Amino acid sequence: MNDEIILQHGLTLVEFKIIKEYLKRDLTLEELGIFSAMWNEHCCYKTSKKWLKKLPTSNEIVIQGPGENAGIIDVKDNDGIAFKIESHNHPSYIEPFNGAATGVGGILRDIFTMGARPIATLDSIRFGEISTDKTNYLLNGVVHGIGHYGNCIGIPNIGGECEFDQTYDYNNLVNAMAIGHVKNDSIFYSKPKTIGGLIVYIGSKTGKDGIHGASMASDVFSEDDEDEKRPSVQVGDPFMEKLLMEGCLELMSSGLIESMQDMGAAGITSSSVEMASKGNVGVHINLDKVPLRQPLTPYEILLSESQERMLAVIERDNNEKIREILKKWQIDYEVIGEITNTKRVVFSSNEKIVVDLPVDIIVDDAPEYDREFSLPKKRKQRNFDTSKLNIEKMISNYMNNLNYLDKSWVYNQYDSTVMGDTIKEPGQSAGVVKIHNSEKAIGASTDCNPLYIRINPEIGMIYTVLEAYRNLIASNIKPMAITNNLNFASPLDPNIMGEIVLSISGLSDIAKNLDTPIVSGNVSLYNQTNDRPINPTPVIGMVGCNSNWKKLLQNKFIKENDELIILGKSLDSDFSPYFLQDQKITSSICEFNELLAPDIDLEIKTAKFIQKAAEKDLIQSSNDISRGGIFMSLIKMTQKNLGFSIEVNDEKDIFCEYSAGYILAIDQKNKEEVFSILNKDQIDFLSLGQVKLNTFEINSKKFNYSDMVNKYYKNFAKIIN
Amino acid sequence: MSFKSAVITFPGSNCDRDALTYLKDLTHGEVFNIWHEESSLPNVDLVILPGGFSFGDYLRSGAMASKSNIIHDVIDHANNGRYLLGICNGFQILTEIGLLKGALIQNKSIKFLGKDCYIKKKFDNKFNCNIKDTEVLQIPVAHNEGNFYCDQETLSYLQNEELIAFEYCRGEGSIDDGNINGSLDNIAGITNKNRNILGMMPHPERAYQDFHVSKDGKKIIESILS
Repeated sequence: MNDEIILQHGLTLVEFKIIKEYLKRDLTLEELGIFSAMWNEHCCYKTSKKWLKKLPTSNEIVIQGPGENAGIIDVKDNDGIAFKIESHNHPSYIEPFNGAATGVGGILRDIFTMGARPIATLDSIRFGEISTDKTNYLLNGVVHGIGHYGNCIGIPNIGGECEFDQTYDYNNLVNAMAIGHVKNDSIFYSKPKTIGGLIVYIGSKTGKDGIHGASMASDVFSEDDEDEKRPSVQVGDPFMEKLLMEGCLELMSSGLIESMQDMGAAGITSSSVEMASKGNVGVHINLDKVPLRQPLTPYEILLSESQERMLAVIERDNNEKIREILKKWQIDYEVIGEITNTKRVVFSSNEKIVVDLPVDIIVDDAPEYDREFSLPKKRKQRNFDTSKLNIEKMISNYMNNLNYLDKSWVYNQYDSTVMGDTIKEPGQSAGVVKIHNSEKAIGASTDCNPLYIRINPEIGMIYTVLEAYRNLIASNIKPMAITNNLNFASPLDPNIMGEIVLSISGLSDIAKNLDTPIVSGNVSLYNQTNDRPINPTPVIGMVGCNSNWKKLLQNKFIKENDELIILGKSLDSDFSPYFLQDQKITSSICEFNELLAPDIDLEIKTAKFIQKAAEKDLIQSSNDISRGGIFMSLIKMTQKNLGFSIEVNDEKDIFCEYSAGYILAIDQKNKEEVFSILNKDQIDFLSLGQVKLNTFEINSKKFNYSDMVNKYYKNFAKIIN
Repeated sequence: MSFKSAVITFPGSNCDRDALTYLKDLTHGEVFNIWHEESSLPNVDLVILPGGFSFGDYLRSGAMASKSNIIHDVIDHANNGRYLLGICNGFQILTEIGLLKGALIQNKSIKFLGKDCYIKKKFDNKFNCNIKDTEVLQIPVAHNEGNFYCDQETLSYLQNEELIAFEYCRGEGSIDDGNINGSLDNIAGITNKNRNILGMMPHPERAYQDFHVSKDGKKIIESILS
């Protein structure tokens, strides 16, 4: 085998040499394809594994941590919540509609493969400067793709983020998260149990789409790659996935199958290898039995990433019963192989063996790299001159910056209320759905602060997790666990590797502090085109629960004259990176001033107070303070002509970022009780003003209420169009 | 005699469970879920064709479902004067069967539209008789093809025969600017001439529980039961 073919498969010559020495023979092309698929970052985490091991992944509520199709946590009474986030970044840049659509399809399969019915999705999407046609095309395609898939299959989209920054010009990010509900005694795993069990193929026929998708996803782009790589993007069919989902859930509840694994990245190769590895068994698959859409070579069948396909293991006796059930759902079903005791992965075609590899070498001997990394430079201390800023100009900057505006242009293209159990739709601090036929509310938020992480990966990551934490607390959802999607540029650059190492360390620290373990995740590296890296963007999805949805907190003003108070610590304008960047006070924001460490004890203490006060019905509504400070937090709380009148020391302070920051609206009759609890708990607070009808007033300066609110809700669409 | 109802499930229906829950919670009677390949319907007072993407919207929304096995019985059910309600994709199926006039074409924005909308009653029928003329209902919509269209003759017929059940409006009730998807005459729902078949784009089954955006969706079932 010549070097060129090896390199084309994304393997290094050293990696190839290791394989050959182990096997003591040359590889078939099919076997090389398997290593290409299984030894890339997407499948084996060769760069990040060493660091990911440091993450806390278990506590008493974790039923399933990382390593399965999704993580599962226990929310009591035999109810489990399965969830995971996954990236589809590279495909979504090459073909935004299908790339994003299949991202949603893939993550939903991860959920129902475990026997869980999906109950919600979220999406975290990032694009470059909106002024370019390219960004506009990507935004439209991605949002359309996410909507197309999720709307059709009928899972509500309950939230997410959408950010614009020029570092994503050539590498937009699409991270899709899904949440499912499962009965804890009916969870399915990918581990097969019976030697001699039949391996069955369920779902769409296999075609040429997505061949080498996983290795493409672990590659650096060059600009002219785009057209060439388009055939590597999978095409999704949400109708087929809906049938597959209903069919699989029916099979699982009928007890006819023993294990299941979806065919995602690296298709039949990765799913069969995973099964063999989990069960410590072997597999023998006859590729001639695989249902095909078009004539394919064994190599193509092994590496196809055609969507909407599942692999399951069944006992022989159940074969015909399963065929009957799937006939109802009009789904292809074929017995393609069996579980063996050889601990080898064997694929045959045309009565010839094309692959015969020990499972160990593919999985356990996958390379693990300890790449060189460097720590961020010390920053110079500097005070910035904000004296020339005036509040009108500052507000105008926020109201013309997509990152701050209401994103209904995006989420109105998603169905957020299908399934009838949505309590909080997108646009609020957290998305919340009810578990069907119960009083339990499940809340989720996806977050990332790329600028904070660029300044200080470790502390920035802590802020990212705390932001998601505050989003849940502001709705009175108890934060329980995390899924992560680590999007970075090339780890071959020690500076980028430093971002990866430090942000994982920050994630580990804060997850331990908050007792919110990481139960699932995904790594997406090489998000750079030529030498332009993306901002470090480790996105997290945090999930929590409140056993009684009636105790949830609203995030919008409820009635006039309610008292407004602030909790938390202001970072001051010199230490509010987004404020400095977005008000264009300095262009080289990353060179000056350290990111101040957040006060984690205060965060926890404040959260406990809000939960306690909410359970006693002492809070009318609440919102967290994040990017855009008090000002943005207040504008998000406006509704039904309810505005505010507030007094602060310096009006520029209302744009500062916060640690443990919340705004609470309190009914006047509960004010004394709330203040006394705050005093007793030794939590500082400030009275800010009151909720007022048709009013938008800051330090006696009156702004036009409808004008401001209209700008916040409508400017996004205006700028995009 | 207690009220009986049924929901038809097609491959790709995704609001069938929601409709079943809605009927169970509000009618307190027996509710059947019928798979589209069944050849007969049980004897019921109301049938719902639920929302979703029956047959993946292949060909046209509702086109394939209108040829399903069960449809013969659904037509018989309606011809016997019993109630038939098509919600969203169900409305599209009813126009494809020909039980209702007109067609649902792509939204004027050429985008999927998922948000709360406001509707009010236009002409009286058994599905909205408990709703006051001035009342504004807040109910979610979620569709890509909800833009009601027909020729001028049909539109005049719908108006003259008073077959328009609901029209889109603004939160305070005015019709101006209330049209969310480009529908002719702001039409959100119409009936047949006998007024026992209603097709509507908004989803009343997503607006009746305490945690929903409103409880206005209750009023349709309450009207039928009254």
